[in-house]
Amino acid sequence: MGLSFGTKAPPTALSGEVVVSGLGKSYGAARVLSDVNLSMNEGEVVSIIGPSGAGKSTFLRCLNYLEIPTEGEISIGGAHVVAGGKLPDKASLDHLRRVTGMVFQSFNLFPHLTVMENITLPQRKVLGSSKEQAEEVANKLLKQVGLPDKAKAYPARLSGGQQQRIAIARALALSPKVMLFDEPTSALDPEIGLEVLAVMRDLADEGMTMLVVTHEMHFARDVSNRIMVMGNGGVLEIGPSEQVMSEPQNERTRQFLKAVLDR
Amino acid sequence: MITQLLSSIAQGVGLTLYVTAASLVIGGLIGLVLVGAARSPVAIIRGIATLYINIVRVIPPITWLFLIYFGLPQFALKLTTIQAAIIGFSIIASAFMAEIYRSGLLSIPDGQREAAHALGLSAVTTVGHIITPQAFRVALPAIATYGIGLLKDSALASTIGVREITYYAQQSAKQTHEGLLSFVVAGVLYIAISLVVALIARRVDLTLRRKIGVA
Repeated sequence: MGLSFGTKAPPTALSGEVVVSGLGKSYGAARVLSDVNLSMNEGEVVSIIGPSGAGKSTFLRCLNYLEIPTEGEISIGGAHVVAGGKLPDKASLDHLRRVTGMVFQSFNLFPHLTVMENITLPQRKVLGSSKEQAEEVANKLLKQVGLPDKAKAYPARLSGGQQQRIAIARALALSPKVMLFDEPTSALDPEIGLEVLAVMRDLADEGMTMLVVTHEMHFARDVSNRIMVMGNGGVLEIGPSEQVMSEPQNERTRQFLKAVLDR
Repeated sequence: MITQLLSSIAQGVGLTLYVTAASLVIGGLIGLVLVGAARSPVAIIRGIATLYINIVRVIPPITWLFLIYFGLPQFALKLTTIQAAIIGFSIIASAFMAEIYRSGLLSIPDGQREAAHALGLSAVTTVGHIITPQAFRVALPAIATYGIGLLKDSALASTIGVREITYYAQQSAKQTHEGLLSFVVAGVLYIAISLVVALIARRVDLTLRRKIGVA
């Protein structure tokens, strides 16, 4: 079990914007994630679906080390980390988080900062942008997510859908190479969720590489290039969206899809 | 009569405020160090901080004052009464403030730290710009309440001869034989100061709440 961390290109045969190989996570004897492999090209959108407890969020959160994987390798946008059950060295960790942007189910905007400050603080602290530069980027993104007039508002004054769109803008402000979405609409009522999905759809159209844990089957089928179905800590199947939705190969996938589509 | 008593007892207001404020500020700063130490990854530092916080809190304030004022000179450390009072109350305040900070920190959802991590914010930025401002807002009412408690405790400093409100009230009571009135005046002064502190704290709290919303 050697540990080797570094930012060098991975010596794997797979190539792409995102390359995950053999990713696993155990808590002692309990295995919550095992042997997850995924390779994504730049601009590709992959939806991750599956029953709760399948390890979807855990997998996604391992990719930027909010959860610590115990085995496998992660390469994203030039950052490379070999899992070892602990945080990698600071340079690798910073690099990995620099190339990924994450959107959470519970938005997690900073409630004591205005919308503008939420979007500019990370730019100034992480990228070293000037106040003017950061605000210019923020204004552009606020327009992009359809909330140009909310710069001075505090998050508590916004609806859930608006907060989530701000959270997307905040993540985009750091120009990540890959966006990770962890059930971005699960805390929203279905109608409000649509405005968030519309922003994500635009983002996909613009060529952003996206990995989306979701229960929105329409989004998964229509927007993503591929769907990865997870169950019991592993990948049940992965394939082109249309194919996975209409002709699932795995019995457990069939059950799951029947349950979510027949309601 | 009352104006006479008032003007003589009010001479103590300055030292009452001084001892209380100095102890709250010094104790508040030490408390920050303590709460940091209590969350340290090093077990022994964590242990020492936790032990300190728990021991300090169970010893009565007056015992602390006597311990410092009568005890430390045995180590050739000569303190004025005011110094002894401030040291004693700072020690006590540090332990209570550490607990107040801790509850403030616990009130912050994990999602805030996760968002900061995901954005790649450094530990210093996360603590300084994300965690502390929110924890302070949550802790503010408790800090104000503790400050008022400390204001009342500062009366104990009269027992080692600090010339604060209660000290002057005792003097007036002896000299004028107006015991009831002297201490009523002292009580009214404490009420007045507490009210001002409570009003300021409430004002700040409301302003923050209006801005940020309920939490």
